[in-house]
Amino acid sequence: MFYPLAGVRHQSYVSDSKLFPVPTDRNLLIVLTVAAIAAPFLLSSLYLNSYVQPWLIWTALALGLNLATGWAGQLHLGYAATMAVGAYAAVHAARFGIPWEFALLIGGLAASLIGSLFAFAALRVKGLYLAIVTLAMQFVMDWVLNHSPAISGGSHASLQSPRFALLGQEIASGRGLYYVALGWCALVTVFMMNLQRTALGRALVAVREKDYAAAILGVNSFYYKLIAFSMCSFIGGIGGALLVATFFFLAAPEQFSVNVSIQVLAMIIVGGLGSIIGTYFGVALILLMPGIANEIIANLTSFLGLPLGNETLAHIPTTVYGALIIIFLLVEPLGLGKLYANIRDYFLVWPFDQFKK
Amino acid sequence: MNSVEVLYNSVMLAIKGVSIEVPYGGMVALLGSNGAGKSTTLKAISGLLSAERGKVSRGEIRFDGRVIGDNPPQQRVGLGICHVIEGRRVFEHLTPDENLEAAAPMSLSRTRVASEKARIYDYFPRLAERKSSLAGYLSGGEQQMLAIGRALMTQPRLLMLDEPSLGLAPFLVAEIFEIIKRINRDHGLSVLLVEQNALAALDIVSRGYLIENGRVVMHDTAERLKANSDIQEFYLGGSQAKSFHDIKHYRRRKRWLS
Amino acid sequence: MDIAYVSELAVNGALTGLLYSLFALGLVLIYKSSSVPNLAQGALTMLAAYVVLALSRQLGFPLWLAIAVTTIIMFLAGFGVEKVTLRRMAGRPIVMILMMTLGLDIFIRGSTLAVWGGTSRSMELGVSYDPLFLGPLLLSRINLAGACVAIALFVAFLLFFRTRRGIRLRAISDDYVASWSIGISVEHGVALSWGMASVVAVASAVIWGEIQGVDQSLSQLLLKGLTVAVLGGLDSIVGAILAGIVLGVIENVGSSYLDLVVGGGSRDLIVAAVLIFTVMLRPHGLFGRHDIERV
Repeated sequence: MFYPLAGVRHQSYVSDSKLFPVPTDRNLLIVLTVAAIAAPFLLSSLYLNSYVQPWLIWTALALGLNLATGWAGQLHLGYAATMAVGAYAAVHAARFGIPWEFALLIGGLAASLIGSLFAFAALRVKGLYLAIVTLAMQFVMDWVLNHSPAISGGSHASLQSPRFALLGQEIASGRGLYYVALGWCALVTVFMMNLQRTALGRALVAVREKDYAAAILGVNSFYYKLIAFSMCSFIGGIGGALLVATFFFLAAPEQFSVNVSIQVLAMIIVGGLGSIIGTYFGVALILLMPGIANEIIANLTSFLGLPLGNETLAHIPTTVYGALIIIFLLVEPLGLGKLYANIRDYFLVWPFDQFKK
Repeated sequence: MNSVEVLYNSVMLAIKGVSIEVPYGGMVALLGSNGAGKSTTLKAISGLLSAERGKVSRGEIRFDGRVIGDNPPQQRVGLGICHVIEGRRVFEHLTPDENLEAAAPMSLSRTRVASEKARIYDYFPRLAERKSSLAGYLSGGEQQMLAIGRALMTQPRLLMLDEPSLGLAPFLVAEIFEIIKRINRDHGLSVLLVEQNALAALDIVSRGYLIENGRVVMHDTAERLKANSDIQEFYLGGSQAKSFHDIKHYRRRKRWLS
Repeated sequence: MDIAYVSELAVNGALTGLLYSLFALGLVLIYKSSSVPNLAQGALTMLAAYVVLALSRQLGFPLWLAIAVTTIIMFLAGFGVEKVTLRRMAGRPIVMILMMTLGLDIFIRGSTLAVWGGTSRSMELGVSYDPLFLGPLLLSRINLAGACVAIALFVAFLLFFRTRRGIRLRAISDDYVASWSIGISVEHGVALSWGMASVVAVASAVIWGEIQGVDQSLSQLLLKGLTVAVLGGLDSIVGAILAGIVLGVIENVGSSYLDLVVGGGSRDLIVAAVLIFTVMLRPHGLFGRHDIERV
């Protein structure tokens, strides 16, 4: 963040479109990666497995949705449905005895197959109506999960996930699961960063900006919408499977209800549509803030001697979560990613910004 | 209005120090090519800039001696400024009758509204014929008439017309301009007309301003403007064809731009 | 199944459907003036129900007074919500606006439950639960009463949109820049429509609160209301009435058959299916206007 841009001059398009046009960015990322790898040895396992690990898994999930909504501009209120498909497919496959690597892949493929159905909706309608259709599809998926014991696992509607293993190596320790989440999240992040630089990424953006204008330029908008939805669902499916396999250890329909769809959408909007770093911030805020706010309020009221009912305390996180969305949309509609960029831009010229004018 | 500047999105300077004046009961035309800042000038006066994230960053706009720069558009309409925006924009899903009613100030009594409507139908008999079909199905000329009639319902004292001739057949343009002139004569209404069709506009107005690149570059009476050779060449289509041999000539002539 | 049974299902379905229309009316009013799909309508309804109960139970107001006061409170609340939040969203992409209404939904739901708690309580309107016999048909009294209220409100709003103020609101929904240019206060009109939608929310809150109790489930009427609104065309009041009846009949008759196949709970499935088919096949609904294209 604190570095000058002076001396960075690109003399060809190839060098300008490198993954890290500014070398300092790359160095910064290397430091962060080292920190992430060292994290299990620095943080207590409570923090590691109940805050950092879910943060990484949800970030990977949110990046997937950001692909469809932020890049390709397709409103998607049924993301949790694709997560559910991925999770249930993978868990069933794993219970069937298929190794986890392939089970995850099956989950991802199944999700992208179902997720492509959303693309057919996107072919016909867009904007508000697409949101409504995806919402309705989400409700259909909720219903199917709740009403088919064969999928959701019997009368208790919960499905035990088998022990997670990769390459024949059983992974049960907190550290191991953390590394799995980290690896997946890093993979998705690198994929998304590279996507921005490719023709595919540019085509998606063209479809977002004006799909018929893109069509006139020879971008087959339906094809790219299909790709966007299937890639988004693939990431969502594997993410959902990992969520069950490494965090919940148990698949239940309410983990994939419509509220989850809204939550992921809230994450990318608070973070900033189409912003990778913003997604990290947004997930952190939406995931952690309600809990933190609840702590603060509970402490505050006990400190002030105002007794609050259990029921009140139970609903405060929801209230805070709603308020966060409203405040962000009002104050910084481009999200935390933009906020970060503003701060960085400010410090880029910091002691000298008065000379600019 | 006096040396007004307009900023769009706090970045783009669309007009830079434009000063124009419309006398009571006068008709003034604002001429200029595409993107010169004519529509922006009108929007600055009517207050519609805020709908497009624009704002007046310098200068002041006076109406009747009052500074109105900070009033929202609906208050300016109440004061008597009405802006007929570009591209007709009638309420397509309402009938012409309802279009007119929507524009009548709420303070008018029911009978006043009826008599005002009758007056408009008097000016535009074509509208009376099609009173109860949806406005979206009217022809382009009828829609333009409806837009002007709708503006007249607001009881304006200054009527601003943004390209009323856009996309209309010449005989319709003549008809509409004739009606505008009649309204101006009958009611002492001031008119500020923005036109690309300079020839038609200069025929009915008394004064004209020429805007280029966000600046007023010339203003004079209509007769003198029509007689001006530069205007003739660049805006009235030119009396004689120029060949590209005279390209130097061209540069010299358009010197006012810089 | 005999014809009498099916017709009984259909009639009761139609009555319930009118109640869905009542809910959808709130969505339609807001969409009509500002093209905002108000996904917070469910939460507003829930809030209205809780406010009625709070006034009548905690402050001891008689029920009719509580409802009247709630109407005023909700009108102001709707007015305020629009002014504080959605006003500034004007002109933003639809994803932002949708998210704003979702955020409002979550916020209102959360704070209502935080204040009053989530346990279900009853409205106790005093309508008897004995069914009403109409020839061979068994009708539910509360549904019938609700349907009457719904129809009365519909007529009132249809008349309202013929008045000058109503015409101005329709003008705003048509083209807000043009409305501005002729001196219509767009802000005021949109806020007014939010206020009216909140008043409609009170009516549906009272009736639905009586039918299914006052709790979080009131906010879940949103899916059905949205389906009705979309089926009716999102901006058409007449459309909302007819679509409500259609959906009510399909849902009631359809689910009684489908429940036998899938073992219960097929109502939501039918509603979601109707929603999907409507949007895919006829996005502007039964009576929605498509933009007029002159040839």
